[in-house]
Amino acid sequence: MIEHILFWLLAFLLIMSALGVIVMTSTVNSVMCLLVAMLALAGLYVILGTHVVALFQIIIYVGAVLVLFLFVIMLLNLKERAQILTLRPFTCGAGICILGLVSLIAWLFRYAATNIPLIQDTLAVTPVQNIQELALELFGKHLLVFELTSVLLLVAAVGAVLITKK
Amino acid sequence: MGMYHFLSVGIILFSIGLVGFLIRNNVIVLLLSVELMLNAVNLIFVVFSRYLHGGSAGQIYVFIIMTIAAAEVAVGLAIIVSLYRRFKTLDAQKINLLKG
Repeated sequence: MIEHILFWLLAFLLIMSALGVIVMTSTVNSVMCLLVAMLALAGLYVILGTHVVALFQIIIYVGAVLVLFLFVIMLLNLKERAQILTLRPFTCGAGICILGLVSLIAWLFRYAATNIPLIQDTLAVTPVQNIQELALELFGKHLLVFELTSVLLLVAAVGAVLITKK
Repeated sequence: MGMYHFLSVGIILFSIGLVGFLIRNNVIVLLLSVELMLNAVNLIFVVFSRYLHGGSAGQIYVFIIMTIAAAEVAVGLAIIVSLYRRFKTLDAQKINLLKG
């Protein structure tokens, strides 16, 4: 029961703060709304039973990514207020296409989920919570992807330094 | 609480990010909208791995997507800094060298 209440609270908070991200005129307020959204999403991960993902969500997004955003906003010392809505014909057409696409995706999910048997007994498949099991999986079966990700991080770091260099 | 509750939250989050990407002009907010969409995809990955697959592969994918998102933000913010140095604005409508 408490799980249900928590889910609805967190979902409401998540969607409201996500809306806040795209309607706020000040970029700092947008980033703060995104922070609330990330924390609510971490709560949803906890409800789903994947505690490690929730932990990483907080560490990576709130701890690193959003701080980086705030740092750049502070560095640029932005004065201009952002304009919210510009209705161009391109925007309207693209919006209609996007709505169609999203409803198509939702329908596909529904179609797929009715044909693939759902795991009804959720207790039988409690997701892997043990960080040791996850690490074994990550460094065993997915080792190549892990190494490629480290190369990607190196490329991103070097690229960021190169781009900002005058 | 079924799979559809979480899935609908993910789809709504993705659409909010997409709409934000289309209607906003500020480059930083565009990057924030991309972050929203990536998070929606992460949520849907975790939900599917919880309700359909049951293993740990979904969580591993989520870790990798988070890493890629962090790398993307680093490069994107570097581009934003150099854009601001060059044009003195972050309005995507005013950065129009390609329009001639």
